[in-house]
Amino acid sequence: MAMENLAFLIPLLPALAFVLTFFLGKKLPSGGAIIPIIAIAISCVISLSITAGLLANPEHVVTQSVHWFAILNLGILIDPLAAVMLSMVTFVSLLIHIYAVGYMSHDPAKPRYFAETALFTAAMLGLILSDNILQLFVCWELVGLSSYLLIGFWFHKPGAASAAKKAFLTTRIGDVMFLAGIVLLFADIFAILEGKLPEGVYLLQFEEIFKFIPDLVAINSTILGMEVSHLTLVTLLFFGGAVGKSGQFPLHVWLPDAMEGPTTVSALIHAATMVTAGVYLVARTFPMFLAAPGTLMVVAMLGAFTALFAATMGIVMNDLKRVLAFSTISQLGYMVLGLGLGAVIGAEAVGVSMFHLINHAFFKALLFLCAGSVIHAVGTHDMRQLGGVGKVMPITFATMTAAALALAGFGIPGTSIGFSGFLSKDPIIEYAYVFATETGNWMPYLFAITAAFLTSLYIFRLIFMTFTGKPRSDYGGHESPSSMTIPLAILAVFAVIFGALTRGKFMAFIESNFEHLDMNALAELGGYHLGPHGHEPLLILWMPLIVAVAGLVIAYLIYNKRVIDMSRIVSSENPVYKLLYNRYYQHQIFVEIFSVKIIYEGLALASFYSDKMLDWLVNGTSTFLIEAGDSLRKFQTGVIQDYAAAVVAGVGLLVILVKLIMEVF
Amino acid sequence: MIPLNWYLALSAIVFSIGLYGLMTHKNGIRMLMCVELMLNSANINLVAFSSYNDDMTGQVFALFSIALAAAEAAIGFAILMSIYRMRDMIDVDKLNILRW
Repeated sequence: MAMENLAFLIPLLPALAFVLTFFLGKKLPSGGAIIPIIAIAISCVISLSITAGLLANPEHVVTQSVHWFAILNLGILIDPLAAVMLSMVTFVSLLIHIYAVGYMSHDPAKPRYFAETALFTAAMLGLILSDNILQLFVCWELVGLSSYLLIGFWFHKPGAASAAKKAFLTTRIGDVMFLAGIVLLFADIFAILEGKLPEGVYLLQFEEIFKFIPDLVAINSTILGMEVSHLTLVTLLFFGGAVGKSGQFPLHVWLPDAMEGPTTVSALIHAATMVTAGVYLVARTFPMFLAAPGTLMVVAMLGAFTALFAATMGIVMNDLKRVLAFSTISQLGYMVLGLGLGAVIGAEAVGVSMFHLINHAFFKALLFLCAGSVIHAVGTHDMRQLGGVGKVMPITFATMTAAALALAGFGIPGTSIGFSGFLSKDPIIEYAYVFATETGNWMPYLFAITAAFLTSLYIFRLIFMTFTGKPRSDYGGHESPSSMTIPLAILAVFAVIFGALTRGKFMAFIESNFEHLDMNALAELGGYHLGPHGHEPLLILWMPLIVAVAGLVIAYLIYNKRVIDMSRIVSSENPVYKLLYNRYYQHQIFVEIFSVKIIYEGLALASFYSDKMLDWLVNGTSTFLIEAGDSLRKFQTGVIQDYAAAVVAGVGLLVILVKLIMEVF
Repeated sequence: MIPLNWYLALSAIVFSIGLYGLMTHKNGIRMLMCVELMLNSANINLVAFSSYNDDMTGQVFALFSIALAAAEAAIGFAILMSIYRMRDMIDVDKLNILRW
């Protein structure tokens, strides 16, 4: 089919748009926004039609490949997993670009904005359809770069500049681990092949890597007295990369600060697309994770912990966007937890996790765009100064409420009726229960269900504080222009019905991605037992809804009806509030103790000595040369007689030498 | 016929006188004259060998050498003249503004 041959255009068109917008944007109306919008719209159409083709016939995987160098290639692999991601990214990116025309209308640096978002979109699409791990890594770094550029878009603000640096450096820790994982993987494959590289095979393609899984499991190293399989090491290093990119504990610290960028950037990069790259990486290499002993346990525990940890901080933030940032971290924790549950449910975990990823992209992008709409209209982020915004911005209020209901997860258990967030978060929590009964480890389930309660609490706190009640300051807002409200409405429709429409089909579609691999055999390599799991008790089934409603009711009582006096809770004397409000003193721990005390002072000490040595070396060289010159130039007396004497002496010496040589021979 | 050694001895004596003068005098004109002596001692050698070997090349070479010496002397004296106009002396030891 013709559309498949155009697959290479999907990342290429936005890349082209980046160049064009960057150089020609100033001359075009509204900063050249039209170029990336058209480019991404075409990419979106191609992606959607390829996805439709795959839906009709899951065997119809698109593969294209060109030789790069040595045993590496540049290639495209669009299987169901990549197809849904491509469709989601192009679609959300398109809507956010349209929205940004309105949102950024007052900004003088529009061409730079649209060029950078186009670059981001190109890199993200390249990442998704990579068919080998190295190309994925290159794009992975490119999205990191565009994230840095866009967080620091208002670089004249010191906060934005330092947030950009923080994001770049923090994710770099993960990136280095990811790269180390690739290097270790390649070295191991090289060792397995005993240095004989087969002709015409690109070893770092995912399909090729998967063939080496049994051999990789067999290689062991002893680390700190423990026998560790190399596959476990490689997958843990990959997961390290995912932890950095997807804001999991302890590398999540950059994500809340990343909200210094424009809200559209937060919506596109730090909510819907880029931060899910880590989840996508794990999903992409899921057969490796499944076969690696122990890795999925780490993944599940860390995901569950992050989901709860971030949610607790979300309930005390007063900045509209920061609440959403912590919510994003928390929801990413759910996705990672979902992948970790592969320990008991196998490939189904990828389906569940990806389903939540896609749904989350819709409702979280919507939440951010609604927040952006509010910020655009009233000019403040601080919820304490808002209140009653719902009266002046009815469309924003309605769409944001829909998104909040999706995030909190309202729906009827056991049916396909519910907001999209419910239909994807609910299976994760249910499978966490299966995980608990199978392995006896209740931590992920308890953390996930507690986090679900807190999610509902913080998001309705946000809704009630912002949109209901009386205005707490004189802000004088107005409803946003239609270029902003139309994307909101479209996203709201998706946030409400996407899950219900696609539920069963979606999961089966994603699972067909790994049909050609024997998942049970892989799970046995990893020491997991994938068995059929029975139905959950009724209470477990209804629990997510119960906690969600409880969160809503409590938020209503506290923040709308004001049954409980807030000043008693929100005070600097309440140790819990203080702990949460200061975000568990992570900043202090990371920056003041770790960075300043240990690294910075260590470096200062080291540089003190290295400076001494370098000074000695550099100054010594120059002193030596100056002094040598000083004494040597005395030879040039400037007295002609001296030179004449030297010439005569030289000639005399030459004559004697010649005479001596003649006599010897 | 006068033996070749005599010519060589004369040449050596003239060269030595020139060298002695060059080494002991500070006056620019005297030094130039000494250089001329040394050059001409070489010319004596050239002509002597030429006539002894019956080969005209040496004499032609000597002519070139004399022409060169004339040019060199002209430039040298011109420089000394301008130094004298500026400084009222031609003592080369005192011309040391470029020295360390």
